[in-house]
Amino acid sequence: MKKPPLVCVVDDDESVRESLPDLLKEFGFAVEAFSSAEDFLTSEAVSKADCLILDIAMPRMSGPDLQRELRRRGRNTPIVFITAHSEASIRPRTLRQGAVACLFKPFSQSALLDALSAALPAG
Amino acid sequence: MAIDFSRVFDALPGLVWTAFSDGRADFVNSRWCEYTGLSVDEALGEGWQSAVHPDDRADLVGAWLSFTQAGEPGELEARLRRFDGEHRWFQFRFCPLADEDGTIIRWCGINTDIEDRKRAEEAQRAQEHRARMIIEGLPAIVTLMSPAGELEGGNRRMLEYFGAEVDELRRRGLGHSYHPDDQGAVVARWRRSLETGDPCEFVARSRRSDGEYRWLRTVGVPLRDTEGHLQVWYLLSTDVTDQTWAEALLAGEKRLLQMVAQGSALTEVLEALCGVVESIAPRSLCSILTIDPDSIRFRHGAGPSLPDPYNQVLDGLVMDRYFGPCGMAANLKTQVIASDVATDPRWRDSPWPEMVLGHGLRSCWSTPILSRNDEVIGVFALYQHQPSEPTAAELDIVSQFAHLAGIAIERAEGDAALRRSEARKAAILDSSLDCIISIDHEARITEFNAAAEQIFGYREDQVAGELLAEIIVPPRYREQHRQGFARYLATGESRLIGRHTELTAIRADGTEFPVELAIARLPTDGPPAFTGFLRDISDRKRSEEALDKVRAELSRMARVTSLGALTASIAHEVNQPLSGIITNASTCLKMLAAEPPNVQGAQETARRTVRDGNRAADIIKRLRALFANKEAAGESMDLGEAASEVIALCASDLQRAQVVVRQNFADQLPPITADRVQIQQVIQNLLMNAVDAVGDVEDHPRQISIATGWQDADHLRLSVRDTGAGIDAAAAARLFEAFYTTKSEGMGIGLSVSRSIIENHGGRLWAEPNDGAGATFAFSLPCRSDGDASDAPVSAPPAAADSRLSGVKR
Repeated sequence: MKKPPLVCVVDDDESVRESLPDLLKEFGFAVEAFSSAEDFLTSEAVSKADCLILDIAMPRMSGPDLQRELRRRGRNTPIVFITAHSEASIRPRTLRQGAVACLFKPFSQSALLDALSAALPAG
Repeated sequence: MAIDFSRVFDALPGLVWTAFSDGRADFVNSRWCEYTGLSVDEALGEGWQSAVHPDDRADLVGAWLSFTQAGEPGELEARLRRFDGEHRWFQFRFCPLADEDGTIIRWCGINTDIEDRKRAEEAQRAQEHRARMIIEGLPAIVTLMSPAGELEGGNRRMLEYFGAEVDELRRRGLGHSYHPDDQGAVVARWRRSLETGDPCEFVARSRRSDGEYRWLRTVGVPLRDTEGHLQVWYLLSTDVTDQTWAEALLAGEKRLLQMVAQGSALTEVLEALCGVVESIAPRSLCSILTIDPDSIRFRHGAGPSLPDPYNQVLDGLVMDRYFGPCGMAANLKTQVIASDVATDPRWRDSPWPEMVLGHGLRSCWSTPILSRNDEVIGVFALYQHQPSEPTAAELDIVSQFAHLAGIAIERAEGDAALRRSEARKAAILDSSLDCIISIDHEARITEFNAAAEQIFGYREDQVAGELLAEIIVPPRYREQHRQGFARYLATGESRLIGRHTELTAIRADGTEFPVELAIARLPTDGPPAFTGFLRDISDRKRSEEALDKVRAELSRMARVTSLGALTASIAHEVNQPLSGIITNASTCLKMLAAEPPNVQGAQETARRTVRDGNRAADIIKRLRALFANKEAAGESMDLGEAASEVIALCASDLQRAQVVVRQNFADQLPPITADRVQIQQVIQNLLMNAVDAVGDVEDHPRQISIATGWQDADHLRLSVRDTGAGIDAAAAARLFEAFYTTKSEGMGIGLSVSRSIIENHGGRLWAEPNDGAGATFAFSLPCRSDGDASDAPVSAPPAAADSRLSGVKR
């Protein structure tokens, strides 16, 4: 059987770290959650992740900071941003920087799955 | 005798015959029979006719019979069949033979073989036909002239061009078809060729049948016979009007542009322009109208060939689109062609058609003259004496010359504007209240006006050629000025050019004063030059500072109370738990839908859903509390309670920042009378600033203390103490000046506004460095307001300072 794609969730909000992995696992993804960009960067998941779901505003290293750091390291792991801010200009800004999608919290299950299917190669 | 004659006839070197008066043959000689292969019997009567070629027979017999009836001698030609079947041309010559009474009794005839002559003639005819075909087929006007210079003929093109037959043309004389200006030269050139027999070539305008002059390039070649005698002149003419136009256009354009460049007077340029156009389009009368600066009236530009009275009418005419084509062209900004003024319905109600017709003009083509900015600055018009539709080539010329006229008019306007601007500049320089100082590319002074002299205390001749910086810039800014100038020259980047900047300047006596400066780079060719406008703003500065302060406070106040800014913050706080709720609920549904349902997992996610829902409700509740009674400024409130609510509201921020907040609220403090929302906003501002301050702390706990207590007998105090990097004493004084931009996720307000709020409430707000790490921000508020809080259980204000937070100094 084919190995399920690994989705890494990085969010400082505990409720997201609790709820999102459970939902994604229900849809057959392998999930690892991290409470900060730093934690993620020091884990083995950096080289294994097929897709990242990143909160934008986090203490110290923000989601976009993490994106830049990964790019500096030559990693082009597809990224879906999530944010509790409702400022509409965030979305085009992140998409310009190369993100696959930018979801505003609260987002629906289908919006999340659409973003992931766009981020992960078909099949 | 008869036999003798017959032998004689046989011996004659020709086909000899005789016939009765009615034309029937009664004798043919033996040569006739030998040639035709017919016997005498076969030939007699009408039998001879069978030897005549069938194509010629009817004509020959008919003609022969009419000769016999007329009784006249004659000649006829027809082909006779030889014995071997070949037909050859013969000439039939015959004479009547009459008796004494004059009655014709016989016809005597002789047929001579003219086949060779006939063939030669035919060959010549064919040759001539071919020559004719060539002449006709040439794409040129071919004229044939006799050696004496008489018109002999021409090809179809030639007859069509002149629109007359050869005889008519011969009568007129071809020389008269040339344009009067060209006629003399053409006739002289042609005469010389007639005398010398040398070929000739000339280009001249010749009038076509429709009256239009076309440029014809004519080459005359003499044709000589084998003995060198001149037989005929072939004159080949080709229409080179378009080509000549192009050349004339180019030459005209060049000349006009030279005139413009040399600064010739506008009228002179425009008249020359009309001259060029009229020479290229000979039947046209050219007019150029300019437009008054008020954009209402036309002004006479040029119209050298138009009747003066008409030019006078146009000068000062209101630009009415219904008056005539020029008005229409100017108003609609489009070309207007009136090909026949007499029948054009567009100006039926205008006096214009009658007027132009009265001057013998029938058509008028008006083209707007546009500036570089695409504005109508004039009208270029071509009039003609007959109804006329412009050709494509003429439209080209019109547009080119309208463009040229535009250049000339704009240049003239530019020159006038320049003269005006020079005069104005001189006046401004002299009378300006502002200092006007110009410098060259080395920043050396080239201009120093009267106001500059007065304000700075130098005379222009003292400072001309000196470095600007050494005259008006205080010494401590000179290096900065030098670098800025060098940077501009190197990169074109400037912090000053094109902006109003406030700077400090120095007078001759060494005193400094504030100036407002605007610098313009002069739009000149060559090395850059700059003009600066400086204004002494000492007085204005003083009054503005006071005004600015008020204005800034007002605008910041407006921002603090703006609900819009708060909404974003509320949304953020609520979106977090909402996100959890939706995700958990989705997971729950998915688990329940599984086979078999994962009930235990579903229960867990449902529990989380409830928890997040409560969290959202909690936030809303606290926000409500924060905004409740917003209208009621000046309510009685408990300072500690207000601070607790703020801390609760900021819980997620505090958690995210991993900050521990210690609350140290004194018991039984009396209530204060204040605007609860405003005071809470101040508290939140101080708290969030403290959170920011400890954000970088890694070596010790990120800790913030919020404390309340007595400040003095009449005032309570709230202080926020952090363990961050702290502030230095110099910075502390300025903290309240600069507007503190709020973070996007908070609704923090500027310290300056916080201070205004507190001061509005009769208190004070200050900052001081801690003994240890970090800083303390604190405010005091009066706690007694006409004793309205007398029922509250209050503690007495202590006399000693021990209730103050340790480390906080005043």
